[in-house]
Amino acid sequence: MGGEGLSLSELVVERGGRSVLDGLTLSVPAGHIYALLGGNGAGKSTALFATLGLLPVVSGQVLVDGKDPASQPDAARASVAYLPETVALYEHLTARENVDYFLSLAGQSCTKAQIEEAFAQVRLDPAAQDQRLGAFSKGMRQKTAIALALLRRTPVLLLDEPTTGLDPQATQDFHALLLDLKASDVAILMVTHDLLGAVAVADTIGLIIDGKLASEWQAQGANRRFDLQALYGAFTHARVGHAAA
Amino acid sequence: MRHLWREIKFLLGQRASVWTIALLTCLAALSVGLGLQEVARQKAAISEVIALQKTDTAAIKTFATDAGDAAYYRFHPTWDPPSTLAFAALGQRDIAPSILRIRALALEGQIHENEAHNPELALPGRFDFAFVLIYLAPLVLIVLFYDLWSGEREAGRLASLQALPKARMRVWLPRIAVRFGLVSAVLVFVFWGGALISGAGLSETIAFTSLILTLVGFWTLIATLIAKGTGSSPTNAAVQATIWFVITLIGPAGSNLVINATTPIPDGAAIMRENREAVHDAWDVDRDATLQRFYKLYPEYATSPPMQRPFEWKWYYAFQHLGDQHVEPLSRAYRAGITERDARAGLVALALPPIAIQRGLHRIARTDMAAQSSYQDRIRAYHTRLRTYYYPYLFKAKPFTPADFDAAPAFEHPSGENVH
Repeated sequence: MGGEGLSLSELVVERGGRSVLDGLTLSVPAGHIYALLGGNGAGKSTALFATLGLLPVVSGQVLVDGKDPASQPDAARASVAYLPETVALYEHLTARENVDYFLSLAGQSCTKAQIEEAFAQVRLDPAAQDQRLGAFSKGMRQKTAIALALLRRTPVLLLDEPTTGLDPQATQDFHALLLDLKASDVAILMVTHDLLGAVAVADTIGLIIDGKLASEWQAQGANRRFDLQALYGAFTHARVGHAAA
Repeated sequence: MRHLWREIKFLLGQRASVWTIALLTCLAALSVGLGLQEVARQKAAISEVIALQKTDTAAIKTFATDAGDAAYYRFHPTWDPPSTLAFAALGQRDIAPSILRIRALALEGQIHENEAHNPELALPGRFDFAFVLIYLAPLVLIVLFYDLWSGEREAGRLASLQALPKARMRVWLPRIAVRFGLVSAVLVFVFWGGALISGAGLSETIAFTSLILTLVGFWTLIATLIAKGTGSSPTNAAVQATIWFVITLIGPAGSNLVINATTPIPDGAAIMRENREAVHDAWDVDRDATLQRFYKLYPEYATSPPMQRPFEWKWYYAFQHLGDQHVEPLSRAYRAGITERDARAGLVALALPPIAIQRGLHRIARTDMAAQSSYQDRIRAYHTRLRTYYYPYLFKAKPFTPADFDAAPAFEHPSGENVH
C-alpha cells in the first residue's frame, strides 16, 4: 500500500481549557507498527482524535499520508481507517451489510468476493457473515470492524485499545492480522494498555505521560525484541506517577 | 443519489422508523378520507336541501297568492359549496353552516341562530389533513430526528462516522434529506391522492404542496438544530417536544386568549336575541311611526297609502327590516371584531410559523374566516335583493302573479355552482 505514513509534530491539543496533548511528537512510517502506551488520561485517545481531525489543534501539525487533517480533513480521512475501542456497528444489519454500508459511507465499494476475502482474512466464520450483529460476540464484532478497515485499503490505520475484551486466541489472531497489514506497508498507530500485546507486534513503543512522549523504544536485534524489564518498569512508574499526581 | 438511496434502505431497515412512517401514512390517508367524506356530505346536504326546497316552494305557490304570503312562507336557499381543497383543511366549515335557508324577514337572527353550537365541541376541530400536518407530522419528525447524532454517540459509533471522509455530505446530509423526504413524500402523495379525487386545480394544489413542504422543512430545521447538539437522546426528545408544545399548542392557545380578551365582540346569539326582541316589540309600537321610520330609509315608498286594516304585510315587512336596522351597530361591531381578531391572529402567526402555514392552508382551501365572512356578506346582499324585490308588491300594491312568484331572485354563488 505504501505512502508517507503518519507524523505528529509538537502537537498541542486542549480540552476544557486544559492541555491534553502538550507537544506530542511521533512518527509512524509506512510498514511500521507504533504502540502508544500510557495511563488513563495521558492523552492517547486524544492523539487519535486529533489525527482524525475531530479535535482542534492549538499548535503543531498532524500529517496523515502527507495530508494535514486541519486543512484537508476529507483527504486526510480518506487515507486513514479508525478502529475504536468499543466496536459499535449497526445491530440490525448483518456483518456483510455493515461492511457494505460503512464502505458506502466512506465513498468506496467492494465486490462480494473482496468482502468475503476480507472476512476470511480476519477468520470470521462464513456462517456468521450474514447474521445480524446483535448476536455477535465482542471478538466477532472486532473481526467485522477489522475486515472493514482492511477493505478501506487506507495507508494509515488507527487502533484504539484494539485487544480489550478479546480472548487469547482472538488476540493472537488479531496480532497476526496486524503483521499482515504491516507487510502491506500500512502505517499502524495503536494506543493500548496492553504492554505484552504491544511488545508482540510493535516496531516502536512510545510512552505518553501528561500529553508528552516521555520515552520511546525501538525493537532491537534479529528477533526485534524489546527490553521487557525496562519497558515494564517505565510503564509501571508512569502509571504510579500519574495516579499519585 | 447513491447516498440517498442507501439511507432510505437503511432507515427503512429499522423497525421503529417503518412503524412511524406507516403510522403517519395511515393517519394522513384517514384524514384525507374523512375530509373527502365530510365534503361529500356537505355537497349532498346542499343538493338535498335545494331539491327539497323546490318541492316546498311548489307547495307554497299553491296558496301564496299575494306577495306578503309568498315572502313570509317561502324559504330561499343560500349555500357555500366546499372548495376542491376543503377536504384537506376544513377550517371554519366544521362549525359554520354550508347552507342557510332564509326568508325575506329580519335577517340577523336567521344568520346568527346557527351560532348556538357547543364551543367545546368545536375547540379540537376536525381531524383533517391540516391537523395531521400541523400537529402530528412534527411529532413524527421528532421521533425520526431526536437521536440522529446522540444515538450514534451513545452507541459509540459517532467518532467512527465523523472520521469518515466527507461525513457531512455522505452521512449527515443524506440522513437529514431522507427523513425530510420520506415525511414530505408521505404527506404530499396522500394529499395529491385526495386532490386528484376532489378534482383540485393545479395552481392551488401546487400552492398547498409548497406549504406542506415549508412546514416539514421548518420542523426538519428545528429538529436538526436540536439533534446536532450535545444533549442526550432523552434530552433532545424532551426539548423538541417542548418546542412543539409551545409553538403548536401553548402559543396559539395563549395568543387566542389574549386576542379574545383584548378584542371583545358582541355575542352572535345576543344579536339574534336582540333582533328578535326588536321585531316582537314592534307589534306594540305605533304602526304609523314604524312606517315613517321605514320610509326614511326607503323614501320611494313614502307615498304608499296609509294602513286600512289592523294588519298589513307592508307594515310587517317594514318592522322586520327595522329589526335588522336596530341590531345593525351590533352586527357591524361583530363583523369588525371578527376581522380585527383575524388580523391580530395573522400578526401572531408571523412569530409562529406553523400557525402561519395553517392559516395559509385554510386560505387556499377557502375555509378561513374571510371565506366565512364573504359567505355572510353574500347572504346579506342576496337578502337585500330579495326583500326589495317584494317591496313594490307590498308598498305600491303591484299585482303579484304566479309568474312574479317564479321571478323572485335566486341565490347565485360566485363559483358558478348555482342551483335554481
